[in-house]
This record gives sequence, C-alpha cells and structure tokens, in this order.
Amino acid sequence: MKKFGNFNIAALVIGFSFLYIPIILLILFSFNESRLVTVWGGFSTKWYGELMQNQGIKDAAWVTIKVAFVSSTVATILGTIAGLVMTRFGNFRGRTLFSGMIYAPMVMPEVIIGLSTLLMFVALAVDRGVFTVTLAHITFSMCYVAVVIQSRMSSYDDSITEAALDLGCTPFRTFILITLPIILPAVISGWLLSFTLSLDDLVIASFTSGPGSTTLPMKIYSMVRLGVTPEINAVSTILVGLVTLGVISASIIGRRQKQNIIKV
Amino acid sequence: MSETLTASPWLDSSEKPYIQIENVTKKFGDFTAIDNLKLDIYKNEFFSLLGPSGCGKTTLLRMLAGFEKITDGRILLDGEDISEIPPHLRPINMMFQSYALFPHMTVEKNIAFGLKQDNLPESEIKQRVEEMLELVELTDFAKRKPNQLSGGQSQRVALARSLAKRPKLLLLDEPLGALDKRLREQTQFELMDIQEKLEVTFVIVTHDQEEAMTVSSRIGVMDSGNLVQVATPTEIYEAPINKDVADFIGDVNILQGVYKGQNEVGTQLQSEDSNSIVFATQEVDASPGDKMWFAIRPEKLEISKKKPSDDHNILRGKIEDIAYGGSFSTYHVRLQNGRILKAIRANRERTEEHHLTWEDEVYLQWAPHSAVVLLS
Repeated sequence: MKKFGNFNIAALVIGFSFLYIPIILLILFSFNESRLVTVWGGFSTKWYGELMQNQGIKDAAWVTIKVAFVSSTVATILGTIAGLVMTRFGNFRGRTLFSGMIYAPMVMPEVIIGLSTLLMFVALAVDRGVFTVTLAHITFSMCYVAVVIQSRMSSYDDSITEAALDLGCTPFRTFILITLPIILPAVISGWLLSFTLSLDDLVIASFTSGPGSTTLPMKIYSMVRLGVTPEINAVSTILVGLVTLGVISASIIGRRQKQNIIKV
Repeated sequence: MSETLTASPWLDSSEKPYIQIENVTKKFGDFTAIDNLKLDIYKNEFFSLLGPSGCGKTTLLRMLAGFEKITDGRILLDGEDISEIPPHLRPINMMFQSYALFPHMTVEKNIAFGLKQDNLPESEIKQRVEEMLELVELTDFAKRKPNQLSGGQSQRVALARSLAKRPKLLLLDEPLGALDKRLREQTQFELMDIQEKLEVTFVIVTHDQEEAMTVSSRIGVMDSGNLVQVATPTEIYEAPINKDVADFIGDVNILQGVYKGQNEVGTQLQSEDSNSIVFATQEVDASPGDKMWFAIRPEKLEISKKKPSDDHNILRGKIEDIAYGGSFSTYHVRLQNGRILKAIRANRERTEEHHLTWEDEVYLQWAPHSAVVLLS
C-alpha cells in the first residue's frame, strides 16, 4: 500500500470536511435535546418521536415515497428500453438525435424542466397533483437509467443473445430469460439511482405539484422558511440515510457486476 | 472411419447436396461481403471455410444460421428453402467463437436450454444433458457456472450445448481459436470423433489452415467474398488452383518464368531463378512466352551439398538460415539471383553425417511431378 504524504492527507481532510461537515452537523443536531439548533443540550431522540406526531411531515413523506417508487419503476422500464435501443440497433437513422434527446434532461437546468412540464400540464389542463409530479420525475430520471444500461450493454456479448435464438428461443423469451437476468444488476442500480433522484428533488416537484401533493423536500423547504427546528434536522437525517443507502447499494451492485464480467 | 466419410459424395453426380447455397450475395451498404457465391455441401461432411480475415467466411456462416439476411440468392437445406426462416426456427445450431455461454446458468442448464425451448419432457431433457456431458467428459462440472471453467472446458460446454438439440447441421465459428496449441490439436481430434459418432454435418469457419487440413473432408478457400477453390485438403495442398491458394495453405516456393513448351517429360519453364532446365510432369494449355509459375512445397525440395547427377530441376544457392524444428529443419537457401527458397528436411538421424550448416553451398533438386504449374 502506498503511503500518503502530508500534503495528500491535508487535501483529503479539507476536501471531505468541506463536503461533509454540514451534513454531519445536521445529523448531530437531530439528536439534540435542546430546541435551539445551535446549542448542544445533550443526546436525545425525542425529535424523531415528535416527527412521528407531525401529520404534515408524515403525509409529505408518504407522497414522496409513492412518487419515487412509481416514477423510478416507470423510468427504469423506459430507460432500459432506451439504453437497449442505443446499443442493440446499430447506427439507425436519427441515432444521434435520439441519443441527444435522451440525454438532454441530464444537462438541462432543472428550472427549465420544471417550468416546461408545468406549462405543458397547464396547456393540457391536467390537474396538478401526485400524478403530474410522478410524470415529471419519470421524464428527468429516465436518462440516468438509460446511461447505466447503455454502459452495461457496451460490454455485453451479443452472441449470447444470438446463441439463445439459435437454440430455438423466440426473441421475446430470449430477452426475458437471457438478456434481462444478465443485465439485472444494472437495471436495479438504475432503479435505485432514479429512486434517490426522485426522493430529493425539490425544484421540479415545486413546479409540478398541486394541492395535496407536497413532497418531503418541499415540506422541509417551507418549514425552514419559518426557522430551522430540530425536527427538520431529524427528517433530513432520515432522508440523508435513505439516499446514502440507495447510492451505496447501487454502487455495490455495480461493482459486483463488474467483477462478474472480469471473471467471464 | 465411417463409410459415409470415406466416400466422396461431391464426385457422385447422383448424390443430392444437403446444403445448397445458390448464387448468394450479401451487401452491407455499398460493401459486397459475399459476391454471387455457389456452394454445395453434402451430408456428414466436415466442411471448412478458410480464408484471411474479412474474406466473408463468417458472414456466410451467419447467413446459414440466419443472423444475416441474404441480399440476393437463396440457401436450401435438405431441399427446403430456409432463406426467410428466422434463426430460432432453423434446425441448425451454431457454436460461437466467444462460446457465448449464459453466464447466469450452470453448465447443466446451459446445455438444457435448447431442449427446454422444444418443450421436451423433463426426463428426456435430463437424459440428453447427461449424454452430452458424458460426450464432452464434463459430468463432474455439471453444477459449475461458466466463470468457474477453463477455456477448454468452456469450449466443450459450448459444443455440448450446440449438439444437444441434435441439429441437422452444426456451424462452428473459429471453435478452437481461443485455445492454446496443444489443447487445440487434441480438441481437433475430439471434434472429428464427435462428428463421426453423431453423424452431423459440420461447417466450420477458420483462419488456421493447419486446423482446416486436419479436420475437414473438404475445404473452401475464400477470398474477397467468393470461393477460390473447393477441394479436399490433399488437393488444396498438392494441387492449388493459383498462387494465392498455394501461398495461403502452407509454405511454398514459387518459381516465376515463361512457358517454353512441352517435351517428353512435361511442361518446360524458363525461369530466371535457375540456369538448368525446369520441368513439371503436369501438362497445361499455354503457348510459348506465356507467364507461368511453378509451385514447389519446401518438403519436396531435396537439399544436399553433393551435385546431383541429373541435369534438370536443379537450383544452386547458399544456406542463409536454419530453423531447427526438432523433427525437421527448415533451410533458407539464397539463390544466386538473391531470391530465398525454403527447403525442409526431416531429421532422421540424431547425429547428422551430412551435416548442413550456415554458408554451405548447396543444391536444391526436385522431381518433375513435385511441382505444380500455375497459370495465375
């Protein structure tokens, strides 16, 4: 193992502190006894208890989870199909345009996505609510799934598919029995990725939600405007925990898949 | 060897071909991969498609499997036009160059996969899988996953999987390409045994000419989308149709010259490579002054320090390089005009009496029937 020099250690410490001290403080103060956010009054989990009493937060959390679950599932299906099309169909006419259109939401400012979807819903006279937030989330998280699937498919041996066809398996069954199980880790990590993206989205949800469809990030944002309370710290800690879990599982699944490829 | 193999169905005009490739053309955009190709393959043949990379041999194989659509022409299998049949409905199986084993299934499940698609009863599937495992000697590995197998084992699983459905025709795409030399040679013999035992027609694609010579009943030499010569390994080696084939299959010395005429020995060539008269017994249809070539295999050249008593088919030169190969040695002999010829001599004695070494002046001689006359 290589030894780290003093400079490297300093760089790491400063870099990581910059990134994580705010989050560590937030988590720390969620266990604060005192009502004041900046004064440590001893360890307590009472704010988590209080959280359970807060109907507004519980409703928002439920909405968020519903939206995240449905949107990430649909985005995974669409994104997987898009990723497959990008890799399996060679250089079809309009491929560049197609890939550009798939990846555009990744670089498009969230405000623009939010605004344009809002305008569309208004123009179509769709009542805003859980449904519209879900649709908007599908739109922006699909491209991430497509990227994950496309990168997985670039190392996928097409003759495996051909071998299945050759052995008398229909194209559809081949997809279900062969292709899907092999790329399943990538599909799962794509799902986890879009789930976490949906979980912590504030901007797009603000544009596309309506009455009764306040998501947790929106709820937190509105509560903060009345002052930061330990309750917010507590709910944020839970959110951080969920997102971390999602990202870590996605990367573990991704790594295990890579090891499998190397072994094969 | 079984009777069907020793016979030569391609010489018998009453014999019906099993696979008929009729004027098949394949274009990728503007590029013509296969150009109006015609080929008949007979039942129980072990047919090799041999050629440099990019000659269209793999494309032809993939058209037989159904993975490439034919641009023009048609392919018949046992008299039935299969050109429009999708791959999963063809009674043809293929063994892929990358083996293409299903990584998420055990060896057993890989082999059973094709049988399950036919909805065979469970008991029969089990029995056939066992049969196949036995055939490729992998019974102990039934429960392993592909990533726990060596290259040779993966190759045998791929073979077992493609044979499990008892196809009428088995296509093999560079089946031994990924194996090391020793394993490859051993597997070649196994392939031949299996082919004879199961009486399946094999069409194999390879760029390894030694492999093609070893395993095939016939070889089709391909170049730029067409067949240059279709013949038995012996014919291809001993009577190549042109310089390219002669050069592609094995080592060859080619003498260039002009046609001088026929005499009692045969065709006479005036060559800038030799001061003596050069004959070949083979008769050709040419007129004096026509360009022609004599192809002589290195092992057919006699190399010696002593001047031969004959006065024809003699070349003089100096040994420039010796490649000692154990059972034989290859001598590179530089002729007086600077060209280098290769001669191979078997090392029959442990200590050589007529030892040849670098810078030795030597004579190369060959029998008139050893040279092939080529007109192109």
